[in-house]
Amino acid sequence: MPFVPVLRAEWTKVRTLRSLYGALLAVFAATIAFSAVAGVSDTSDPEFDPLFMALSGVTPGQIAAISFGALAMSSEYHGHAIRISLAAVPRRGRWFAAKLTAVALPALAVGLAGALAALLAARAGLGPAASGLSAAEQVRGVVGCGVYLTLMALFAAGLTALLRSGTATLSLMIPFVLIVSFVIGDLAGGLTDFLPDRAGQVVLHESYDGSVGPWTGLAVTALWTAAAVGAGAWKLRRSDV
Amino acid sequence: MTSIDLHALTKEYGGRRAVDDLTVTVRPGRVTGFLGPNGAGKSTTMRLVLGLDRPTSGTATVGGRPYAALGAPLRHVGALLDAHAAHPSRTARDHLRILALGNRLDARRVDEVLAETGIAAVAHRRVKTYSLGMRQRLGIAAALLGDPEVVMLDEPSNGLDPEGIVWLRGLLRRLAAEGRTVLVSSHLMNETASFADHLVVLGRGRLLADTPMREFIHARVRPRVRVRTTDAAALGGVLARHGHEAVRHEDGHWSVDDARVDDIGRALSAAGVPVLELAAEEGTLEQAYLDLTAAATEFATRPQEV
Repeated sequence: MPFVPVLRAEWTKVRTLRSLYGALLAVFAATIAFSAVAGVSDTSDPEFDPLFMALSGVTPGQIAAISFGALAMSSEYHGHAIRISLAAVPRRGRWFAAKLTAVALPALAVGLAGALAALLAARAGLGPAASGLSAAEQVRGVVGCGVYLTLMALFAAGLTALLRSGTATLSLMIPFVLIVSFVIGDLAGGLTDFLPDRAGQVVLHESYDGSVGPWTGLAVTALWTAAAVGAGAWKLRRSDV
Repeated sequence: MTSIDLHALTKEYGGRRAVDDLTVTVRPGRVTGFLGPNGAGKSTTMRLVLGLDRPTSGTATVGGRPYAALGAPLRHVGALLDAHAAHPSRTARDHLRILALGNRLDARRVDEVLAETGIAAVAHRRVKTYSLGMRQRLGIAAALLGDPEVVMLDEPSNGLDPEGIVWLRGLLRRLAAEGRTVLVSSHLMNETASFADHLVVLGRGRLLADTPMREFIHARVRPRVRVRTTDAAALGGVLARHGHEAVRHEDGHWSVDDARVDDIGRALSAAGVPVLELAAEEGTLEQAYLDLTAAATEFATRPQEV
């Protein structure tokens, strides 16, 4: 069976659940709101990075993106809904690809729009402190932010398919990006640059000096996401539903 | 003509056989009642047919092909597995629209099946506001969406009100009359007898019966007459002359197998045998079914060979 009708069905699933709408809206709102607040913060800190300050909304924004990815997938594991889905689309690989596409496209659109709005809002607040940012840096920051949020949503969707539970995914990923990454990040040094959230957020900084650059950092996050999605696909293919 | 073919179908979960060497053909043009106690393997069999669970061994095909090989499967097979599978926060119409989109079905079918199952007026409401009976109707609507040749319904009468049961009976009869293959599971014999032409009975995953409904009733429900008299010798004589065998029970009543009250009553009256009591004592259909499945349970609880 062709891919496009399956994608249309999966996209309609996203559109017809209020909780998913809400999560997408939260990605947008959280990213902007945090950045706007950051825009009026202290700029005298020696480690002050105007680009990351302007895009600091990514921290709450990624929580919303993770929730969106996890919810979109976990709605299938609610009351055996996936049985109806796979009875309608028995090619599991194709169904899974359509589901992930229906997660990725809106996450990317909302992520890009949110990042752009956040940057504009923060620059209004930061004033001259952010005037040194080049156009290229700002484009990199906005595109990188959109891609990063999309990768985190896909990571969560893949992990949810592996664990067959949105609750399990959220209780692993949210503490990880909020706490664990910071704590072991300060302890372990070099290797932590390769954690999915650390690596992917390099692209949001004006200056960087770790072992990964902006785009290699996103590639590292993409590898993590590919691993989670691959594990989810493996679980879906081999198990009874 | 599309039939469901199960061949030596076996499914084990952690060493327990949910479906055990099942070979059955479910044919078109009739309603096949799929009976068995809870846990007999009916739902598992349906999931195996739909490719949702993988068989441990054996095959399940629809029209000779595995389900996953069907192009737009909803056009061939419609199934109701679980009334709670529709997402509670979606409306019934959206639920059906999504299924129609993925299989490229005409969007008009959504309204047609909503009307056919009697939930058109509540189609804009979220599924979580539905009663179990309404959810069953939505599940049946989803099964009919692709106008399929094969319809498989798992316990569809669960939660339906009496009017709904009558409606369902008519629907099943009509689907079969249109030449479709209709497989309907239930754990209630009398209910199944009201709509099924053919019976497939499972017990502990094994096939216990695969027989026309009429034959099942004929073979398993034997008419019997209960008689009490003050003149046992005369009674025995009359019954023997009419070719009946009577069994005397401890409390003094007699029972006559394969006999009808009309015949026994006339014979005893003509012979002048005093009768204190005369009654039909037929085992019910439900009892015949219980006897069948109880035997399977006893069989299955013997120590199993490894």
